[in-house]
Amino acid sequence: MALTLLLLVPLVGAVVLLAAPPPTPARPGHRDAPIALATAGLAALLAVAVAIARPVVDAPWIRSLGVRWHFAVDGVSVALVLLTALLGVVVVLHTIVGPPPVGGSRSTLLGCVLLVEAGALATFLARDAVLFFLAFEVVLVPMWVLIRRFGDPHAADAVRADAAGRFVFFTVLGSTLMLLGILLLTHSTGTSDLAALTAARGAGLSTAVQATIAALLVGGLAIKVPLWPVHTWLPPAHTVAPTAGSVLLAAVLLKMGSYGIVRLAALPLPDGMALLAPGLAVLGVVGILWGGLACLVERDLKRLIAYSSVAHMGFVVLAIASGSPTGVQAALFGNVAHGIVSALLFLVVGDLKEQWGSADLTVARAALRDRSPRFGLALVMGLAAALGLPGLVSFWGEFLALYAAWSPGPGRPVGLLRACVVLGAVGLALAAAYALRVARIVWAGEGGDPAADPVRDLHSVRWGLVAAMLAAMVVLGLVPHLLLRLSAPDVEALVALVAR
Amino acid sequence: MTGLTFDVVPLLPALLPILGVVGVLLADLVTPTLRRGPYAVAAAAALGAAVAAAPGTRMPAGSARSTLCMDDGLATTLERVSTPRCFWTADSLTSTLQLAACLAAVVCIALAWPRASAPGAPPGHAREPVEATLLLTALSGTVVVAASRDVGTWLVALELATLPIVVLVALGGSRAAVAGAVQLLVTSLVSFALLTLGVALWFLATGSPFLTADAAGAVAGAGPGDTARPLLSLAVVIILAGLGFKLSLAPFHAWTPTAYAGSRTAVATFLATVSKVAALAGLLVVLRAVAVLGTPGLLAVGVLAVLSMTLGNVVALRQDDVVRLLAWSTVAQAGWVVLPLVSVSGLGVRASAGYLLTYVVATLVAFAVVAGTVREVGPQGRRLGAYAALWQRRPWQAAALALALTSLAGLPPGVVGLVGKVVALRPVVAQDWLWLAVLAAANAVLGVAVYLRWLRPVLTSAGADGPRTGGDPGTPDPEAPPRERPVAVTVALLATTAVLVAVSVQPDLLLGPLGR
Repeated sequence: MALTLLLLVPLVGAVVLLAAPPPTPARPGHRDAPIALATAGLAALLAVAVAIARPVVDAPWIRSLGVRWHFAVDGVSVALVLLTALLGVVVVLHTIVGPPPVGGSRSTLLGCVLLVEAGALATFLARDAVLFFLAFEVVLVPMWVLIRRFGDPHAADAVRADAAGRFVFFTVLGSTLMLLGILLLTHSTGTSDLAALTAARGAGLSTAVQATIAALLVGGLAIKVPLWPVHTWLPPAHTVAPTAGSVLLAAVLLKMGSYGIVRLAALPLPDGMALLAPGLAVLGVVGILWGGLACLVERDLKRLIAYSSVAHMGFVVLAIASGSPTGVQAALFGNVAHGIVSALLFLVVGDLKEQWGSADLTVARAALRDRSPRFGLALVMGLAAALGLPGLVSFWGEFLALYAAWSPGPGRPVGLLRACVVLGAVGLALAAAYALRVARIVWAGEGGDPAADPVRDLHSVRWGLVAAMLAAMVVLGLVPHLLLRLSAPDVEALVALVAR
Repeated sequence: MTGLTFDVVPLLPALLPILGVVGVLLADLVTPTLRRGPYAVAAAAALGAAVAAAPGTRMPAGSARSTLCMDDGLATTLERVSTPRCFWTADSLTSTLQLAACLAAVVCIALAWPRASAPGAPPGHAREPVEATLLLTALSGTVVVAASRDVGTWLVALELATLPIVVLVALGGSRAAVAGAVQLLVTSLVSFALLTLGVALWFLATGSPFLTADAAGAVAGAGPGDTARPLLSLAVVIILAGLGFKLSLAPFHAWTPTAYAGSRTAVATFLATVSKVAALAGLLVVLRAVAVLGTPGLLAVGVLAVLSMTLGNVVALRQDDVVRLLAWSTVAQAGWVVLPLVSVSGLGVRASAGYLLTYVVATLVAFAVVAGTVREVGPQGRRLGAYAALWQRRPWQAAALALALTSLAGLPPGVVGLVGKVVALRPVVAQDWLWLAVLAAANAVLGVAVYLRWLRPVLTSAGADGPRTGGDPGTPDPEAPPRERPVAVTVALLATTAVLVAVSVQPDLLLGPLGR
């Protein structure tokens, strides 16, 4: 019951908000804020309840396709469910206290945000492969509206059209390829139940068939992750999207890709993944280096953080490629870590862009350190986390990823993976370089104009949100076991199953 | 006497439209100036046919309602095999297609609902009885073709489903209408010639006038030297080409945009929905018969499907006239409809019918919105610009259109379209034709581009981005007389949208009757 409610609450809230009549001068729509906040808050409470009680809902839905309304939560998904629901509250609050959106009514914007939240929750909770696909697609149209309609008002219409179009077309191609993989998987195994698929670990399928299915699944999901070289939709989408869209995109939508690789490919198809692992590891490392190098020269701050997302997701993919329980743990931890850090950075940078009017690093501005210390603190902490500083949450994700790839699971090419680890470490150095570059320009004000108008510092609700995320970053960085313990038993059981 | 069983209940879905035709003609004889009366009779007849077809959709798999069956005496004079044969067999899949055709026809009738009086028309020359008669005739042809199991009925019913539409298109009266009607007529003649040839080859190969599994099964025992099998394959391919014209499959699609654009919105709707049901029902009769042979996948179908999707989507991307856009989208969707038929099996047949139904429901909603807009703002309601900022002006209509377009694109919230994609790709994957499935996946992206191109202006706020072209489409042309939207159009829109929402929440409502 709580599970179905968890999915229905944001869905119904979104429908109510989208159906609300557009505000008129006589009757400005003030009702949207309490509705959205109540919905997001209720969903967050339900998510916590679901994480504790771990209920299961399983009912027939589309009988003619054998698709069941089957949702449950386990160690692999619980952290992502919590992250999604809590970030939903953050994004809604952040939007409500901000200035009214330019492209349309705020109630539409909030409706789209809640729809994305509902779709992401359904994706993380689905226990049926076809249901997973259906849920996976839910986020597309609302995200498209967010980018297309509520995108950066300073960007030309053609730029927004390009960004929104790229987002949709890349992801639709990816998810349709994934659908082919899912259909082939269910056709050759006879079930679409994810638990049964994981338990069977590809029994009865030849390695060639497993590799074909895994290639389709990983190929499709890699677009969402995004893995180099199919990452090209991400930077424009992030640059144009409004802050709410950027946060959801980075913190939640990308995770659907990496979570999908773990859930659909890595666990049910161990032999197929073993064949793909070397390629996956190499692409992941190329992504780490590519993203890091791009960040060294990128002029647009939002685009820079988008490229750093490509690099961070490269670590997640490298961890998955290692094929060991530690690797899966590292991937899941890296997912959550990147979710928190990128959400924080996009909140901060989005606010800065709102006030600056652009996010161009070459424009001379007043240093944050002197005039806006709260912004400065949040940015520096976020950058420190992005470069993997010990004591902050990202460190564990990346350290564990490199550790897992150094001592990979059975059947993986040790030499290649270790070479990848070395290159990944170089990527960490690149991350340090670009983080310091940004800190120098924006925080310390190097080459800036001390006389320029300073930005108004973070205050009240938005400062509270940023402070809460900083706290989460530090706490999980100091006590990573809080998060690791959530997933450890399930991951070890599942991967032990897989590793035989 | 002739040794033919006769059972009236299964025939009712076909008989009621015919009775409706008689009723309309009688009424016209008495009072030739009636305008709404004939449409009311037609709507009632089509609804009655739907009610008559509905119980058939609940039949369990394997059972069917048959009538017009021959006993042995007649059978032996007609064919080699002597088991009793029926000219009319309606199982749950057939009944579902019949039901869909009847309901779609009701919607078309509602969309064409005439005004109480036509300004400027001479008294005593009401055209409505003719239109109502033609619509009902085409509907009865569609219902019959789905249930026909012998080549004669099948062929005649297919033409009965097509020719009235040619007249309906021509009745539009404009140059464009005549051009569309002529193209449609020429196409139907070519199609008829091909179908006749295909049917003749079928008879040659099987020696039976029946389009049944038993008849096709007689070929299965043929030796390697026998020509029956290749003849049968040839028959199927030629029939596929003949029906390709009616389904708007590329490269037989050329008539589609001309005919759609030239005809009234309601007639275009009929062409896009009921006619497609007729064509696919005809194709499924043949393919279900040959499915027993366990033929390997039909490469021809795969090639036509991909060609159709690609061509339809690419050209639809360039259209600014929404009816033309929907015409090209029909071409693309026809590709998706036949895609599952690469696997000549029960799975493929059910998937194809299932995808057709999702397409029909979504297309009806889209056309209902267009018809309403055209009734309000005149011919410029067919321009893409007329839908700018619809979200602000008419939120519910915009929501219906958005749901229809996302269903056609196969994206949530149009869940039914997404499920349709799953349904259509399943047989292709089961056939292990991954290359074809990947090509279809690439086309899914193109399709999304087509429908988002229409959805974007719908959702945009007025004046939010850049200058709008073509003046202010929101207000009616000041020179045109004030128009209003008939209640029937609104009701049709509400009803079809309700169906679309219902099948999006529970796709089984649509797919269940087709069997598993």
